[in-house]
Amino acid sequence: MTRHHTLQRLVAITMFVVIAVSACATPTAAPQTPIVITQVVQQTQIVQQQVVVTPTAVPQGPKPKGEITIWMWKAAEDPIKNSGVEAAFNKEYPDIKLNWVTYGTNDVYQKLPLALSAGTGAPDVALVEDSNLAPFVYLGGLSDLSDRVKTYQTQMNKYKWDTAMKDGKYYAMPWDSGPVVLYYRRDVFKAAGLSDNPDDVSKLISTWDDYLKVCQTIKDKTGVPCFMSNKANNDARLYEMMLWQQGLGYYSPDGKVTIDSADNVATLEKLGEFWKAGLLSDEASWGDPWYARFKSLDITNTVATHVEAAWMGGNYKTWIAAEAAGKWGVAQMPTMKAGQARSSNDGGSSFVIPDQSKNKDAAWAFVEFITARVSSQNKIFAYADIFPSFEPAYDDALFSEPDSYFAGESVRQYYLNASKIVPTGYVYGQYYSDMHGKVQTAIQKFSTGAASAADALKEAADAVRTDTGLK
Amino acid sequence: MTTMKSTAPSAALPLGARLQKLGREIIRLRWAYFFVAPFFLLYLVFGFFPQLFSLFLGFTQWKGLGPITFVGLANYEVIFRDKVFWQAMANSVIIFFMHVPLMLFLALVLAVVLNSKRVRGLPFFRLVYFLPYITNKIAAGRTFGLLFSSDRQGLMNYFLSLFGIAAVPWMDNIWTARIVLCLLIMWAWVGYNMILMLAGLQTINPELTEAAMIDGASAPQAFFQITIPLMQPILLFCLVMSVMGTFNLFSEVYTLTAGGGPMNATLTPIIYIYNKAFGDFRLGYASAVSYVYFIFIFVVTLLQFRYVSRED
Repeated sequence: MTRHHTLQRLVAITMFVVIAVSACATPTAAPQTPIVITQVVQQTQIVQQQVVVTPTAVPQGPKPKGEITIWMWKAAEDPIKNSGVEAAFNKEYPDIKLNWVTYGTNDVYQKLPLALSAGTGAPDVALVEDSNLAPFVYLGGLSDLSDRVKTYQTQMNKYKWDTAMKDGKYYAMPWDSGPVVLYYRRDVFKAAGLSDNPDDVSKLISTWDDYLKVCQTIKDKTGVPCFMSNKANNDARLYEMMLWQQGLGYYSPDGKVTIDSADNVATLEKLGEFWKAGLLSDEASWGDPWYARFKSLDITNTVATHVEAAWMGGNYKTWIAAEAAGKWGVAQMPTMKAGQARSSNDGGSSFVIPDQSKNKDAAWAFVEFITARVSSQNKIFAYADIFPSFEPAYDDALFSEPDSYFAGESVRQYYLNASKIVPTGYVYGQYYSDMHGKVQTAIQKFSTGAASAADALKEAADAVRTDTGLK
Repeated sequence: MTTMKSTAPSAALPLGARLQKLGREIIRLRWAYFFVAPFFLLYLVFGFFPQLFSLFLGFTQWKGLGPITFVGLANYEVIFRDKVFWQAMANSVIIFFMHVPLMLFLALVLAVVLNSKRVRGLPFFRLVYFLPYITNKIAAGRTFGLLFSSDRQGLMNYFLSLFGIAAVPWMDNIWTARIVLCLLIMWAWVGYNMILMLAGLQTINPELTEAAMIDGASAPQAFFQITIPLMQPILLFCLVMSVMGTFNLFSEVYTLTAGGGPMNATLTPIIYIYNKAFGDFRLGYASAVSYVYFIFIFVVTLLQFRYVSRED
């Protein structure tokens, strides 16, 4: 009997310890927040910039007044506030009170449709990433901004309007764009015996086939992986940039599903060649191990390149890899076929004004002040690398200034050149959520060897056809 | 319930008289009705109406705004070809068998141990085992995510590295991701099941076991032959709750595996319904899926009750 109790006690104590240990392991650090596009949290480097205030449209009539509520994520809100743009707005519109509500991007996407659907509870202004914009435009409940944006139609990056429109009407105002470039580690290129000059790198890596060869060289000479791309939890973002670069996407201009088209399959297979050659490292995007490679000063633990939009440069210098100052360079992104546009887009964001807003004039005054003023756009761009969609902003000394983080390279020129040649892509659209989710799974199956590129994409395409009724 | 009981014998009376009697009963018990009314009013608005409305939506296409298009049985027809939905259902079955038998067994063992008079500090242990259940599932999911982080910074991989074992990419593999999810569920729910079973054990007369032991039964024999059969109603209840709990998993999956990864291996039907409704804005289809899912759970629960009561 005594032995029996001892056993009972032992079991109770063991279980207690197991549970207590796991219970004690509450997070000491704040949980990782998913980080999405145009995300720049803190600024370590404030570029002093004299910007000539040249309002492009002087507001006519009495100035709007009242209070407006704005939903936006912190990484977009902070640059507006900290770059002095908010103060400038308050000075010009002293009678408009801004009521900021800080939400994560996902919070906006969860709350906004409910508020639109309920007919109450929506803000006067909400910021939406371009990937999520078209679904909202097609959902309805947003004000038709056609008359208000008319002045700026030709002044914004043209492709930005693609997701903002429905039936010839405009429901959103572009803020920033995501022109894609090739980020590369100068120290790794040097260690592999390659030039680290941006023009040389652009020439050296002009197609994805060149990219593969160069990465093989780097791998052989230094052992450094080409870039990071997780297999089992792949987020499909790089694949989407590759599609957009070729003017492809998930659907055709006439609305047919192209997820399983020969071009799309070939693109995924091209990505597959990198996996097959063992050139990629498996860290999942937006996690600590992923950041660790970007910021590592020891080249054996770093990564050679990263294809991403302009806002990524801001992320590097402000919070992901501030310690790697001088190590990164910016070149043109490679293309699938020689001679194609060396540019793509990833992310970017736009403002919407819900139809239920009671103060649309004030809401528009705010949106216009942020997006369609050279001074506002460039103050924010200088502060956080949020690349202006507003083209008149490009005529500014800021764009040719050397950037000390990138070893004195004028990286903004590369962003700017890429932004001018972004092809019309068919990635974002009203069914993006469904298509993106299914393509993610297809890439995961392909990369882990569970299915061929053609089969995985065919399965995704068929499922999307069933879901959306598209052909 | 009281009203029903008291009206039952008067079934032979004419309808008018019966209604009159019912009215009198209601007036007599007005305070009881008054006090239960808030629940039923809230249920009517937030439970019953949405249930009826989604039954209707199941036959339509609707984004949550704009026109509602009637499409007949089209949504239901699509469900049967929807591989992702059936994968979510299959996942739930797999995850159920991966953890429920073990969890209920652990809960029962813990309950028996704590039921022993010789364990001191019973309220303390009870609280400790129950704590994970009342811990916010979002926080728990995040914490497990950190513990099982794929790199060496994850505590679990650090622990393995002490023994020279290479870092396991927990969340990048279908089965390891499911195992981590099961560990999280077990951690969170074993205490809840244990409390239920402890309550059940306390209703069993200890003399039964003692008598058996005097007659020469060993402790395990007494446990399996006496305690378990007497515990059957509680075990059934725990089982039914676990079936529903597994299929209804949401917060844990949402935080731990980013909503069902890798490759939909931890996707549950509820997450799928949520994604269809609030990610893709396909409320009609999501409603149809929830009804198919409801019928499935209903039938399974019914079978469980039938099966176990027949055993008696």
